[in-house]
Amino acid sequence: MSVRTSSTHRYDAVIIGSGVMGATTALMLGRAGLKTALVDRRSIFREASGVNAGTLTLHMIRAGLIPHAMRGREMWLNAREWLGRDVGATATPGLSLAFTPAECELVEQRATVRREMGAPIEVISGARAREIEPGANPDVLAAAYCPLDGFIPTYVVGQAYARALAQAGVDVLEDCPVSDVTPCDGGGYDIVTGGRAGMVHGTRVVFAGGVWLQRMLAWLGLNVRIRCLINQLVVTERMPPVMNNVISIANGLLSLKQFQNGTVLIGGGWQGEGNIDEGGTRVIPENLQGNVRLARHTIPRLDQSRIVRVWLGLESETDDAMPIIGSIPTYDNAFVIGCVHSGFTSGPYMGALLARHILGEDVDLAAFDIGRFTAMASPVSQEEK
Amino acid sequence: MKHDCDCIIVGAGVAGAMTALVAQRHGLHVIVVDDNATPGGQVYRQPSPYARAHVPADAERREGDHLRDKLRTSGIEIRSGHSVWSVTAGFRVELCHDEAMASLSAPVLVGATGATERFHPFEGWTDPAVTGLAAASILLRAGGILPGQRTVVAGSGPLLFSVAHQIMELGGEVAAIVDTASTAQWARMGATLVLDAARMGQGLAWMREIRRRKIPIHHRACVRSVTRRGSVVDVTIRSLAGNGRDVTIAADAVACGYGLRPSTDLSRLLHARHDYDGAAGYWQCAADPYGRSSIDGFYVSGDGAGIRGASVARLRGILSGHAIAHDMGRIDSTTFADLCRPVLSRLRRLDVVSRQMVRLMNPGGIVLANTEADTPVCRCERVSRATIEQAIDDGAHEINQVKSWTRCGMGPCQGRMCEDSVRQLLAHRTHQGPDVVGHYTTRMPLRPLPVQAVTGTYTYADIPLPKAAPL
Ligand SMILES: Cc1cc2nc3c(=O)[nH]c(=O)nc-3n(C[C@H](O)[C@H](O)[C@H](O)COP(=O)(O)OP(=O)(O)OC[C@H]3O[C@@H](n4cnc5c(N)ncnc54)[C@H](O)[C@@H]3O)c2cc1C
Ligand SMILES: Cc1cc2nc3c(=O)[nH]c(=O)nc-3n(C[C@H](O)[C@H](O)[C@H](O)COP(=O)(O)OP(=O)(O)OC[C@H]3O[C@@H](n4cnc5c(N)ncnc54)[C@H](O)[C@@H]3O)c2cc1C
Repeated sequence: MSVRTSSTHRYDAVIIGSGVMGATTALMLGRAGLKTALVDRRSIFREASGVNAGTLTLHMIRAGLIPHAMRGREMWLNAREWLGRDVGATATPGLSLAFTPAECELVEQRATVRREMGAPIEVISGARAREIEPGANPDVLAAAYCPLDGFIPTYVVGQAYARALAQAGVDVLEDCPVSDVTPCDGGGYDIVTGGRAGMVHGTRVVFAGGVWLQRMLAWLGLNVRIRCLINQLVVTERMPPVMNNVISIANGLLSLKQFQNGTVLIGGGWQGEGNIDEGGTRVIPENLQGNVRLARHTIPRLDQSRIVRVWLGLESETDDAMPIIGSIPTYDNAFVIGCVHSGFTSGPYMGALLARHILGEDVDLAAFDIGRFTAMASPVSQEEK
Repeated sequence: MKHDCDCIIVGAGVAGAMTALVAQRHGLHVIVVDDNATPGGQVYRQPSPYARAHVPADAERREGDHLRDKLRTSGIEIRSGHSVWSVTAGFRVELCHDEAMASLSAPVLVGATGATERFHPFEGWTDPAVTGLAAASILLRAGGILPGQRTVVAGSGPLLFSVAHQIMELGGEVAAIVDTASTAQWARMGATLVLDAARMGQGLAWMREIRRRKIPIHHRACVRSVTRRGSVVDVTIRSLAGNGRDVTIAADAVACGYGLRPSTDLSRLLHARHDYDGAAGYWQCAADPYGRSSIDGFYVSGDGAGIRGASVARLRGILSGHAIAHDMGRIDSTTFADLCRPVLSRLRRLDVVSRQMVRLMNPGGIVLANTEADTPVCRCERVSRATIEQAIDDGAHEINQVKSWTRCGMGPCQGRMCEDSVRQLLAHRTHQGPDVVGHYTTRMPLRPLPVQAVTGTYTYADIPLPKAAPL
């Protein structure tokens, strides 16, 4: 057990990691009246949650997460109601295009699975796809069409959260890298930070560290393997309207949208290189070329444009590519949230869900139980103890 | 990695050219890359045929022609018209030339990328009548073109007087010179100038001409606003000393720039160590006098290593050339020391003058006094001072967070124009040092890259599609 000085700040809940998962959880706990701290080693919303593609799509997300994504998408579109501020979320239809017979089959297959999970996706002809999206390559053979899609200019979201968190009375402790968390004899956890916050104590602790979750869980002696994807994004300069929908392709490796300011964002999960411990990432020129070729093939008029910036963001994934959300077995009042595929879309919903669980409501998190990975997995959940 | 040569030098200004010539003399195979059509960089830029015919040749023109001759006869490979849009460790350099891409690799890389103009906004600065001071200098010197018939020359540093002189030489009128520095600062500068006789002689000649023509000089002052009135603009000049009334004069052009700062694109992209130079008011790549940075094999030379002017850039280039030869085992330590000694002693002498000049170029916290809430700070994205301050009040305390929340610095110039102003606003409002608030993260591409160049010609089948994402 660690020694606690009288100057240690005591909180009802300390959330470590201020991406969309941690920040939403903190916001909801703060609003529920818990004295809450949100700790980050940098500034809020500067990792995955501040640099992602902001697609609110049902075409690419893991099928099992579609119900959550649909609710998260709704929340973004109504951000003014619960976040206090509009974040520029735009609803558009989404198209997933097929250019080869094999891709037509893939589109059909993926649409079927997604439809079963509640996504209103139908397969349409190439001609129909071109009516909906006249900017698309005439070579398109078929497409999956979903009326519920859209996007957010991700980078502005942090500011809306910063305001909401302040209003909810949540202490946002930035530039405070956490280096250890230890359970206290009298209950709760001591959280050691390297910043001005020093040591803080939380009756409850929430780990929301994105790709750093594996490091965080190790503080409690848990060994959960978390893979880090290094996703590439490319943005063009402003250009006249070249597309109206969110566009992807059959195998999921392209996402395209044009923001209101005229810039076009090209994503799709092409990989770069990087090291999450040392920081710093590197674009692989061949992958830049591949990604942009695919984009230009899909929306030919992109050839008139120039690329202004390329960056890489870090996305976390468990071995089964499903999230870990809920109580941590054998530890009282310790929780985890992360590794949510296309997690920006569902983020607000997932964070709110965890907050309700922490506050004692009965919510269904069974599919996301971290127990499926931990060696010491206990079938007894915290509530039953 | 298979290398194309021993050393890649980015920038064919005087620093890059001297590094290349010296390194080649030591037997190294060098390749120089530069985005201008011909070598020479800023000061020794190749004049257009029109400029050759209309602007009298000066020492810089002769030096430049001489430098180009030397490069030509050396046989050094120079990739002119090639812009470097990315570098990665090791070193691999990505080039773009018109619509074509190429890459080069070498164990040694030199960033001799020169200076970038520093600018701060004021009311009306986005009017087409307003150009940068350094930009005007290029227009005049290399193009033989006047920015206007009647120009207000404003900002900081020696470039003010150089540009005024060039305007007069081309037959234009200088309506006024507006300088952020005080006469006392110039007197201190003058006192050190005895160490640099050439520069002193030139400066005195310019001043005689300016006095003879009775051109008004406003010291400790800046352009407060530019308001369009038909084909002319009203330029309001405000004293920074806190006394004196605003003066408004009519002109059809304003050339304004607040000194220079090093181009740190390459060094930032490589994550070399950078230090904030408080007296100069800018970030620079940390390097020893030979240009060795914190990254093995990566050197910075010339103004890219800190603004010191053309004479020092030449000396720094020579030193970098010797150092690379030494570090690659081509010359021993004694030879290296012997070769560098006279260069270093000359460098130290000139450095005294240059440091003084750099201080003169630093206008300090001018953006605070000189903008209104609705003045655009970022031109590319039209972000006002009020928007930036709102982000700061909402909790952004680091410059990249301000960028993220406001889009300030996200446009085609990638923040080159607004970074210094945002840093000032942020440091002031959060009571942090300008070094603490940080600098914009640099990412590729360093310059906007045509999609056609990136993609080339290809078919769908050529795209190496990774395997499908899981359901
Ligand atoms: C490039 C890219 C594109 C994407 N595109 C989409 C998309 O279009 N649509 C979509 O729905 N999803 C998308 N995603 C996924 C989505 O961004 C993520 O699922 C989501 O943002 C994850 O949020 P998070 O809060 O779990 O993690 P993060 O946002 O990464 O937050 C983790 C936080 O933990 C902090 N932290 C880490 N270690 C410590 C420590 N020791 N002490 C204190 N704090 C610490 C970090 O600083 C960080 O702020 C994309 C992801 C990437 C990377
Ligand atoms: C307009 C202007 C006028 C100036 N006038 C004077 C003056 O009168 N007297 C004086 O002493 N100093 C002056 N300076 C300062 C000037 O920077 C130096 O004196 C001198 O030019 C420094 O030489 P250099 O070799 O370090 O850089 P430069 O001469 O600036 O050469 C750098 C070269 O690198 C190229 N380059 C940069 N980035 C890339 C890239 N990514 N890819 C490819 N090429 C790249 C540039 O285009 C340029 O050709 C002036 C600066 C400017 C900008």
